[in-house]
Amino acid sequence: MIFLARRLVFYFAAFVLAITFNFLIPRLMPGSPSDRIIASFQGRLSESQVAAIRRSYGFDGNLWEQYITYVQSVFRLDFGISTVQFPEPTAALLFYGAQWTLVLVGLAIFLAFFIGSFMGIHAAWNRGGFFDSFFTPINVMMNAFTPAIVALLLFYAFSLQLKWFPLGRAHDPNLMQNWFDLKFVGSVLYHATLPVLSILLVSFGGWHLGMRNVMINLLNEDFVVLARAKGLSENRIKYRYVARNAILPQITSLALSIGFMLGGALVVEQVFNYPGLGKFTFTAIGARDYSFIQGQLLLLTCSVLVANLVSDIANVMLDPRLRGR
Amino acid sequence: MKMRTMTALGSLTLALALTAPVMAQEEVILRLLPAHTDAMVENYNPNSPGPGAQQRTRDFTYEPLWIDNVWHPGVSEEALAVSWEVGADLKSVTYKLREGVKWSDGEDFNADDVVFSFDYAKANPDYPMGIDVYNGESGNVTSAEKIDDYTVKFNLNEPDALARYGLNGLYPLPEHVWKDVTDPKTFANTTPVATGPWTAPRNFSRNGYDMCRNELFRGNADNAIDCLRFPQMNGNEQTVAAISAGDLDWLGDGLTDPDVTFLPQSEFNNYWLPAGSDVNLQLNTTKAPFNNLAFRQAISVATDRQTLLDISTFGLTTATKFPIGTGEMYSTWYDEAALAPYTWLMEYNPDKAKELLDGAGFVDKDGDGWRDNPDGTPISFGISMPSGWTDWVNSGQTVAENLQDIGINASLKTMDQGAWFDAVPRGDFDVYVMWTNGGPTPYNQYQPMFNPRLMVSGQIDFQSMHQLPIPAIVEALDKFKSTADLDAQKAALTDVHKLVAENVPVVSLFANPIWYEYSTRRFTGWVTEENPFVRPQVHDGNRERVLHALALKPIDGAKF
Repeated sequence: MIFLARRLVFYFAAFVLAITFNFLIPRLMPGSPSDRIIASFQGRLSESQVAAIRRSYGFDGNLWEQYITYVQSVFRLDFGISTVQFPEPTAALLFYGAQWTLVLVGLAIFLAFFIGSFMGIHAAWNRGGFFDSFFTPINVMMNAFTPAIVALLLFYAFSLQLKWFPLGRAHDPNLMQNWFDLKFVGSVLYHATLPVLSILLVSFGGWHLGMRNVMINLLNEDFVVLARAKGLSENRIKYRYVARNAILPQITSLALSIGFMLGGALVVEQVFNYPGLGKFTFTAIGARDYSFIQGQLLLLTCSVLVANLVSDIANVMLDPRLRGR
Repeated sequence: MKMRTMTALGSLTLALALTAPVMAQEEVILRLLPAHTDAMVENYNPNSPGPGAQQRTRDFTYEPLWIDNVWHPGVSEEALAVSWEVGADLKSVTYKLREGVKWSDGEDFNADDVVFSFDYAKANPDYPMGIDVYNGESGNVTSAEKIDDYTVKFNLNEPDALARYGLNGLYPLPEHVWKDVTDPKTFANTTPVATGPWTAPRNFSRNGYDMCRNELFRGNADNAIDCLRFPQMNGNEQTVAAISAGDLDWLGDGLTDPDVTFLPQSEFNNYWLPAGSDVNLQLNTTKAPFNNLAFRQAISVATDRQTLLDISTFGLTTATKFPIGTGEMYSTWYDEAALAPYTWLMEYNPDKAKELLDGAGFVDKDGDGWRDNPDGTPISFGISMPSGWTDWVNSGQTVAENLQDIGINASLKTMDQGAWFDAVPRGDFDVYVMWTNGGPTPYNQYQPMFNPRLMVSGQIDFQSMHQLPIPAIVEALDKFKSTADLDAQKAALTDVHKLVAENVPVVSLFANPIWYEYSTRRFTGWVTEENPFVRPQVHDGNRERVLHALALKPIDGAKF
């Protein structure tokens, strides 16, 4: 309990620091939201119109006043109005982008974690065998690709040339959003296939390698020898004894991946016109949409902190050695 | 295994979509993309400062007073007004409005709506409506007066023969709806009341929406299109794939090498890139060496414009004939004989450039291999471009290399787009590649370019970046503005042209293309090089685009 309490204090401090940076980073970039709007008129505005637009879309007051307003709005959960998608509230856009990012990156992370971990367990158990010496180098090689290349190749081959998959979007635009409609869910999965594959193909190698390396070290430990001496079944040793221990560092990285999930997958979203957070954030940064950048960074901060907390708790539950402290 | 299930599910969805019953009486739908966006926002406010709503609702839903048919002045220009008259003292413009026009909710359109819209624009400066109306220099309009139900007179502060160009682009709003809207910039106008051909939104989602036929539109007999469909898209990969697959008919994207990336994708794909407004090098003449005329002339003749046209900009741009800061778009205004003595400035001649520099004392004094200022200080400057603007970055690179060839230490400097925009008003730069504005007459271009008030630090405009005050040009522009006689205007403009060529405040490079791609899968009647009846782009700012849309007719047997 003391362990968790200590962590909670740390998390609160990290949160305050993070929202301060969320506030400062967009403002350190040159330009402002109103500059972008004014520039889009290419000099056709009169001076009084420029002044009026600065007042309406700029952020009033000096940096300190703006900061106080911002911190207050964070605790009121008020995210302001987006200047890119004016006059849409930022919260509605964040929510819309976040759900599609969760579908896309969430599916990719979980599939990569399970496929990669099981391949790693299998490779370590039969180290030096055919499976290990074939898949381990292949997966490491795949891991060295970037999603950008894979996404473009998949898009070109399966969407443009073979036309097996759609060119973009999260679902058939003729279907209205309804998560209880099987046809809609099917359309979502169909549209997500290539984007998910683009991330999956380059990421499960990492889980594979991580799992395999930790497993191999553990296989030489005394408790494995003891388990064998006791005559336990192979599967029991493999999954309950070795894999359970080897999974601990993997859980920590999984939690971090989940936390960073809300950062979106910019390149993949861009190629497949997938309406995720990465794409919205990229546009928002280009247009200096302070409200959206702040909102997105806040969301990311919170999800990373929550994911860390979850991984701490999960580690305590999975590793009896941590419970005493 | 998992993947295979998904594919199977996907194919099932696809099969379902393909077997959907075809409607007996098919709606004719035109799919167009005036603006890229990541998500559609339900906003049909024609003057909303965000780019999307304006791009989709102006012209198609809300009509202007007058359409300036830039390529064919005087043809099919009547919109909500049917005629205009400039007062004898040039201190007023009077419009006769079209009679019998109904708003889409059945109310009559009349002079009250126009007067209301004018006053409304004046009361809400952060809601840019008729964006030239209050511009102190070119608009100068003090009030709108209702003469009778279908006549409106706009009064001017000073005589101005060009004021109507600012007023033509006012999109009148229905008084009975907007009088209750107190904060127009945040008003999403989800049930638009307008007079244009398509005013009824349908099936809104984040993925797009349709804008369907206004049953009360006067031209419905000749309007073959039932609905405009605005899909949500972003990125050229998406748009090219969509137009090739039949998900778009009309597009205006900047494409790299369209003969390779666009034409082969579908037999129906077509494009045409007529000359748009010019691109110039803006030199900061408040600094050495740009304050020296010979140095500016040397840059102009050292620039290899053929390479800029053919290679840097992928052969998509058009050559500029005279060193006057504007180009082909205004070719009808040229006095070729008067400008012939200046064409040497547009010809690539590195030897002449070296001669000019040597003559003005720009020689290598410190022996580092680069030319220095006559006073011995070294010359070194950057040509600034936003990273990612590929054709312009290439152009900046080419010019830098051309200058290095004649011994000037120039280099390309790419930066973030925000920083690039940000540096202009403060004058914090050496050399920029810069667009020109365009507009119905060349006056609209030269006015901001030579207005001394836009040469003060903090107020510097994209056009006045050179900051070289030339009072004789200001006088000639005043002459242009104070007469409605075309010959007198042309004479004044020739003076401007000659003064620009003599002073080289900017270095003319080439004319940007007007981006226009279209598909002949479903429609005929597109603007082509053989039949250029209006400017063809799909974007806001081209008021003729509604005439283009109304000219399109479905091909027999086309599937919508």
